[in-house]
Amino acid sequence: MLSLSSFVQRAQQLLDPTQGLNLSDSDKNPSKASLFQNQFRLPSSQHPLYEISAELTIPPSNVTQGDKDRDRGYHYAGKLHLSEAYLCFSTTPSSFLQSASTSTSSAFTGQTHGGGPGGNGFTFPLCAIRRVERLHSQNFQFALAITTWNGINQESVKDKKENAREQRITIQLAGPRVSCERFCDGLKKGLRAGVGNVGKLKKVVAECYSEYLLRPEDKKNASPPDAGLGMLFRYPGDPKKLRDRAKMRLWAEYLRDNGRNMTLIRQPTFHKLIRVGLPNRLRGEMWELTSGSIYLRLENPTLYADTLAKFSGRESLAIDEIEKDLNRSLPEYPGFQSEDGIGRLRRVLTAYSWVDAEVGYCQAMNIVVAALLIYMSEAQAFFLLSALCDRLVPGYYSTTMYGTLLDQKVFESLVEKTMPILWEHLVRSDVQLSVVSLPWFLSLYINSMPLVFAFRVLDVFFVEGPKVLFQVGLAILRINGEELLDATDDGAFISVLKSYFARLDESAHPKSENPKLRAVTRFQELMVVAFKEFSGVTQSSITELRLKNKDAVLNNIESFAKRTAIRNLARDSKLLSPEELGALYDRFYGVLYERQQRDHILKEQAKRAKTNRPRVPDAPDHDDHIERGRVGLGPSTSLMDYDAFREFLAGMSKWAISDSPTTPRRDTFTDKDRNSFYNSFRKSDAFLSPWGAGPEPADHEFLQRLFRNWDVDSSSALTLQNVVSGLARIKGKRDIMGTINYFFELHDDDGDGKVDREGILRMSEALLFLSRRGLEGSLSPSNSTLTLNGMTDSMNNSSLANDVPGQSVNERFLGSVSAFIRRCFEYADPDHPRNQPPAASATTATTTATQAQEQGETAEQPVPTSDDLLQLASPDAFAIGDDDDDDDDDEEEDGDGGDDDDDLLTMDSPTGTPRRAAKSSGETSSPGQPPPLIQLTNYSIPPSTIDGESTDRRRVSKAQSVKANAALDPSNPLHITLPTFRMVVLADELLEQFFESSFPASFHVIEALGSSSSASPTTASSSLTTFSSLGMGAGRAVGAALGGGGAGSGVSAPGGAPAAGGRGLRGVLDNIVTDGMRVAAEVRRRMEDAQKELEKNALPGQRSGNDEDDEEDDEDVPGFEHASEPGGAGTGKGAAYRRAVSSSDRDLLSGADAEASDANSIGRVRGSSDAGSMGDGNGNGNGNGNGGAAKVVGVEFDG
Amino acid sequence: MADSVPKPSSSVKLVLLGEAAVGKSSLVLRFVNNDFQENKEPTIGAAFLTQKCNLPTRTIKFEIWDTAGQERFASLAPMYYRNAQAALVVYDLTKPTSLIKAKHWVAELQRQASPGIVIALVGNKLDLTSDSTGTAEDDGESSAAADSGDSGDARKVSTEEAKTYAEEESLLFFETSAKTGHNVREVFTAIANAIPETSLKSARGPGAGAGGVGAGRNNEEQQRVNLGGPRDPNAKEGCAC
Ligand SMILES: Nc1nc2c(ncn2[C@@H]2O[C@H](COP(=O)(O)OP(=O)(O)OP(=O)(O)O)[C@@H](O)[C@H]2O)c(=O)[nH]1
Ligand SMILES: [Mg+2]
Repeated sequence: MLSLSSFVQRAQQLLDPTQGLNLSDSDKNPSKASLFQNQFRLPSSQHPLYEISAELTIPPSNVTQGDKDRDRGYHYAGKLHLSEAYLCFSTTPSSFLQSASTSTSSAFTGQTHGGGPGGNGFTFPLCAIRRVERLHSQNFQFALAITTWNGINQESVKDKKENAREQRITIQLAGPRVSCERFCDGLKKGLRAGVGNVGKLKKVVAECYSEYLLRPEDKKNASPPDAGLGMLFRYPGDPKKLRDRAKMRLWAEYLRDNGRNMTLIRQPTFHKLIRVGLPNRLRGEMWELTSGSIYLRLENPTLYADTLAKFSGRESLAIDEIEKDLNRSLPEYPGFQSEDGIGRLRRVLTAYSWVDAEVGYCQAMNIVVAALLIYMSEAQAFFLLSALCDRLVPGYYSTTMYGTLLDQKVFESLVEKTMPILWEHLVRSDVQLSVVSLPWFLSLYINSMPLVFAFRVLDVFFVEGPKVLFQVGLAILRINGEELLDATDDGAFISVLKSYFARLDESAHPKSENPKLRAVTRFQELMVVAFKEFSGVTQSSITELRLKNKDAVLNNIESFAKRTAIRNLARDSKLLSPEELGALYDRFYGVLYERQQRDHILKEQAKRAKTNRPRVPDAPDHDDHIERGRVGLGPSTSLMDYDAFREFLAGMSKWAISDSPTTPRRDTFTDKDRNSFYNSFRKSDAFLSPWGAGPEPADHEFLQRLFRNWDVDSSSALTLQNVVSGLARIKGKRDIMGTINYFFELHDDDGDGKVDREGILRMSEALLFLSRRGLEGSLSPSNSTLTLNGMTDSMNNSSLANDVPGQSVNERFLGSVSAFIRRCFEYADPDHPRNQPPAASATTATTTATQAQEQGETAEQPVPTSDDLLQLASPDAFAIGDDDDDDDDDEEEDGDGGDDDDDLLTMDSPTGTPRRAAKSSGETSSPGQPPPLIQLTNYSIPPSTIDGESTDRRRVSKAQSVKANAALDPSNPLHITLPTFRMVVLADELLEQFFESSFPASFHVIEALGSSSSASPTTASSSLTTFSSLGMGAGRAVGAALGGGGAGSGVSAPGGAPAAGGRGLRGVLDNIVTDGMRVAAEVRRRMEDAQKELEKNALPGQRSGNDEDDEEDDEDVPGFEHASEPGGAGTGKGAAYRRAVSSSDRDLLSGADAEASDANSIGRVRGSSDAGSMGDGNGNGNGNGNGGAAKVVGVEFDG
Repeated sequence: MADSVPKPSSSVKLVLLGEAAVGKSSLVLRFVNNDFQENKEPTIGAAFLTQKCNLPTRTIKFEIWDTAGQERFASLAPMYYRNAQAALVVYDLTKPTSLIKAKHWVAELQRQASPGIVIALVGNKLDLTSDSTGTAEDDGESSAAADSGDSGDARKVSTEEAKTYAEEESLLFFETSAKTGHNVREVFTAIANAIPETSLKSARGPGAGAGGVGAGRNNEEQQRVNLGGPRDPNAKEGCAC
């Protein structure tokens, strides 16, 4: 089975071969960039460029500038980091340089364990730095004094006395001189680049409440910025009880001393102030600061408004879902009973659904956003939602909710580890924990606890990260442990917790003697337990557990998704077995997934190449993107474009594999030689072929036709349903008539039940295309040989098979196809509104014959003896290719007259049915046959056809080839109908078997292509290699053979194309019988020649045929000459190709043409595959889509 | 069997499934609290409630799992219907797509849930259709409340269509209104009656729902319930706990 996780694995290995077998390794060693971004909550545009050990000195509060005594300030030792647009300092010892070992950076310590803006320090946007001065210091080589734009919007006041408010810190760099200088150079560059963003900074900061809080005296009357619905509808909870004023005073003091919003410096008090709960009006700002969403806003301050404007008036599924829930979001809060509140909620959710289509809208987001909107403006909530979805609770709200499910598993394992007795009790009483805990996580406790308490949890959550959700959850269980141990079912379990949440504001120790203890609320107790008792639950332990459970969770989701998708398929899917459906599902999404990964890797490489930044190869930039596309992570795409379709088919059907790979093939990827695989691809970039590890798919008219046919709603993309329906029609019924009908329909472009001349040729080409790697299915070679021998119809002279004992079925199939073409034309109906009466058609035939004779007169072609013809492959080919202007054809046909009559007899007797019926039912025991035959008898051929054709033809059998000429005459349009097509197919045992079994069987839905057929990717490739080397050699080989043949028949004439063509075709059949495509190409060329001829003959120039040929020669010869000069006019494949041809006999022209058309088609393949992969790139950009786009929008606002 | 004074009591795990906003939570609220809220918060994950239902011979305590309807929550559903002995698959009879979704749920349950699970197909929001008032078997209280303003017929799913489907799949079938309360109790009573005695023995737990319910049996039960229709007031009293 094709497991999706194996694709994931492979993709990761492609990214980092050293990671090898472990799925989770790349998560375990996330890129330094993403660690860095997480640590400082920076947008994904930021990379750690420089870092250096440093000591931060913050002057004590209320000191004047002159009184700068080092010892009286605060000192912190830590690391200073510089990214493109940020200068960050943290006391958390961690390194993000490439050279740093991953263990150092992944093993975070300190207060937040890497989950957020940890420890003490700052995160300054460079545009918030006003001035950097270099100080002279005796102890350190470098000391920098940094002055910020703290309170930038009050600058205009020009309050010079206010100079004490200027924020100035000192940083002493500790490191070798070079590093310090490098750091400073980088800083200088960054500062210069940041100057342009000061305007943005002003704008963003203006929306921060702290600016209003610390506004200078003369601005006392300014109106405060929007600090949420709470300003209008009151904030939840009793401000007195919450001690809101006191908190506000403390914060005002802290911010005054340590900078506000963008220029805030974290000191221990900061963390303490957050733990006791944020004051209402500052809550929003602190959330956006600690979550880092304020930096997203800084990157693109107008994104929210722009998005709303851009999509104004548009509709979407997400919007429908949002509308349903607007009235159902925190309905108890008065703000959401008002139009104002509902409107805000609608706008934020809608805007977000546009920028992150991967998430769109998920129930629970309405509740979370509603909560945010109580404390912050719409724009702030919008960016905070983005930070939530991308970083804080990734995957929680995605379409598969994998993040939610994963964290439930993580939570369960934490419970098992920390509370084994409770866990055992849960298991014993069959209570599923996540049933209870899932809503806690999904709505961030907002609708589990009374709002005031939920917000306190959020306060800490935004600073310290997702681990807080786990700590609180564990603490809830721990505190209620005893009661929970008494609960034996879900109901009891839930009611214990329900009543606990309802009493969070009560005293935790109501009976205590100690008044202080009595004053402790249950919520305070909860916080203490959460952060003290479960302090061992850290960001890294969570990450570890996530990794451990990730695969199982994704597999679960995927099997559910698969089950659901298959179950929801339309009725026609029942034609396929459940195994087939399962395998199709896997193949379908497997191809999409792999293509997506490949695309991502290619893009990543391109980007890396462009930025040209030295980078260790095993540090992918966005590790979190690696798995995008996996079904379990959300259906990033479920549409298959044409190129993906080709790849999909190439995985199932050997005929869909290209004959001439444009990229050098690598060793096929197998588990065993994974190492050699790495080596091979690391050495060359070839592994990033647009087709990945799989074989390069062919591009053939038939594939396009199939694609269009399956694409029932003409969307240029297939859904799983399309693919299933399409295949069900081919494989489903196991009914030869169904398959024949389908094949006909496939070529009936306008659906009028007729296939015209062009269509007939296309059909034959398709047959040859499909059979060129051999036929599959239950063919009965001996039996069919017998049959063929026993048959007196054209097989006798049309197929070499009977004469050459060792000839394979596949070779004989070529004969069948030739016969097919001929018969199609024989039995075709003239393309007139009314069927022509026999006489009329005879007249036409005669006229054409005359014409043909006239044209043919000049041809000096020695007449091949009928003996010759019998021996040589396919007079049928002659009949089609040659007839146009050879009057010898009449003789030729004369010679074969008897055979033809037989042929006709066979075919004619009620379209040959009764006889064949008897024969086949006697000879083959295929159960599927009798009904079709009956059916055929029933259908029969329209009387007119029988009359007009069979009787007529019998009478004028001599004019038959002439009629064939008529068939080729473009001025004489004709068509075959489905009954005719059926008849023609059923007239040939091999064709019949082809439609009965080998065509349906050629789609290896379940089994791997390699295992059951000889065309395992490797074998196919090796055979392809031979084939493509044959491509060069073939010309020569054919040439030699033809030359020989030509000489043999005494024709070395500079010759009429017909002559050459005739021999060329013969030679082709003789020598490269297996390369069926050439036959078709030849047939087509001849057709085109004929057409040209006819067009030319509109002016009755008798020698025109020859002239044309001469011209052709003239054209070709210089072509050859040029080509043989290196750097000549013809470059590339064509030239090389022609060179190869030029080395062969001139007689080969026709063969060469056949080759050339092959070469063209190769060119086409390559062209379209390139274009395809590019197109796909686009497709991914959009479709994935929007995943990609959304992510970008969410994080890189510079877009 | 036991007709003695303390009626045997057993619990039945019941799960509600169906598209978002078809009124699953409202049905439960009506059944459990005989209440209706215009603005019911969407269910996040699932909600759990219990309600007793007194049958003539036994008392059934429903443990009701009300799940979230949004498509993306579907993958959580197995967690909730695990071991369920009964399921209410709800659609909104003013929204044809919700019936399609309901059919998907039925198929999912038939394949993945406990083998003997009793499934009821419920078309909700009957009050929005014009025929809601004309129904003969309205119990007194709800007919008074039955749609005051809705003059137009918003029905998009015919009773016939849904009923035929329900019969094909051997489901109990009801059209209800959580708003008026019409038929709500009947659904739960019918389910209570349809639960085979065998699966009631061990209340709930692994394998509890393994008792087989024949298709014919379901139909029988449904008939019986229908016959019991007129005696609704009694049933109501019995059910209110
Ligand atoms: N008119 C009418 N409205 C109803 C009825 N039942 C529910 N509603 C309304 O439909 C909306 C959705 O109801 P809910 O009970 O929350 O739907 P749900 O199926 O639980 O939705 P999710 O939890 O999101 O899956 C609410 O606004 C209800 O007031 C009904 O019988 N008649
Ligand atoms: Mg609900």
